[in-house]
Amino acid sequence: MESDTQRIALGLRQRDVAVLETLVEQYQYRLVRYLVSLLGRRDGVDDFVQETWLRVLERGESYDGHSRFEPWLFRVARNIALDAMRKRPMFSLDTNEEDGVRTSPASGEPSPYTLAARTEDAERLADSLQTLEPVYREALVLRFQEDLSLQDISVIVGAPVSTVASRIYRGLATLRPQFEGEIT
Amino acid sequence: MNIDHHEGFQRMIDESLAAAISAEKEQSLREHLATCVPCQEYLSASNRVIAGLGGFSFEVNPTLNARVLVALKLHHTGTMRQHNVQFKVWAAFAVALSMSFVGSALVYQVAKLLTVPMYFDAAQVQAGVLVFWLLPSFCSALRLLAAPGENRGIA
Repeated sequence: MESDTQRIALGLRQRDVAVLETLVEQYQYRLVRYLVSLLGRRDGVDDFVQETWLRVLERGESYDGHSRFEPWLFRVARNIALDAMRKRPMFSLDTNEEDGVRTSPASGEPSPYTLAARTEDAERLADSLQTLEPVYREALVLRFQEDLSLQDISVIVGAPVSTVASRIYRGLATLRPQFEGEIT
Repeated sequence: MNIDHHEGFQRMIDESLAAAISAEKEQSLREHLATCVPCQEYLSASNRVIAGLGGFSFEVNPTLNARVLVALKLHHTGTMRQHNVQFKVWAAFAVALSMSFVGSALVYQVAKLLTVPMYFDAAQVQAGVLVFWLLPSFCSALRLLAAPGENRGIA
């Protein structure tokens, strides 16, 4: 029986717009959330989302259908965002010592995390998340929000599994003090 | 219990949360957590972080899906049109090329029939066909491929 991923791969190879429509409906929110975590800002994300789907249409044949679709999609989105960051200084990014990027939040504007916080714990994390190194934020979001395995994250970010794990530990270590001393 | 001992287990908690721990270590961690308050606090704070990460809900522009779908359809239509033009150009090139060779062969046969009454030799006929028929028609066929898409007169 044909699996979902194989159906997706076949649809992409045939440039089937109906398959793409379904994928857009299914993955749009997750794509937006991932790109916000990568960029640390909300504006410009819609353009990257559109560009990502166009790239999926153009190069869909490179998805083989043997692995999950999300890591492939996020990797496409990541490459587009990183290319744009390198070309366009409007995103005010500096490269850090690894391969990641550092976001300088625009002064005076509430961060996308402050605006998106829906729980008390999220509100407490919002500021720390905004200033967290994007590579750590990205690893945390992919592991705990997207529920991806370390191997999948490793494929997306193009780093070894041990590096991904280390980013998760360091990300948790940076955010944990917000809740230390409170047992629930 | 010393600090290093806790650090070892706290490292295991991180590994457990990241799904990078063996079953044996997980069991050992569970046993330790049952009696160690500092490590319980550490786990609790980590779980709060993870729960907090799930507490964000980003607004998605309600027109974004429609905008993306329109862009995809336009791009798809443009690509298909381009593929169609390319196909037509190659088909026309193939037809032109085969007509060149078939025409040249016919002309050659006719010219050969005329060699005796008109006192030509075979080499002159071959050269004439090549220079005045085959090469010009071959160049015309090649021009089809070289012309920019809109000027090919095919699409």
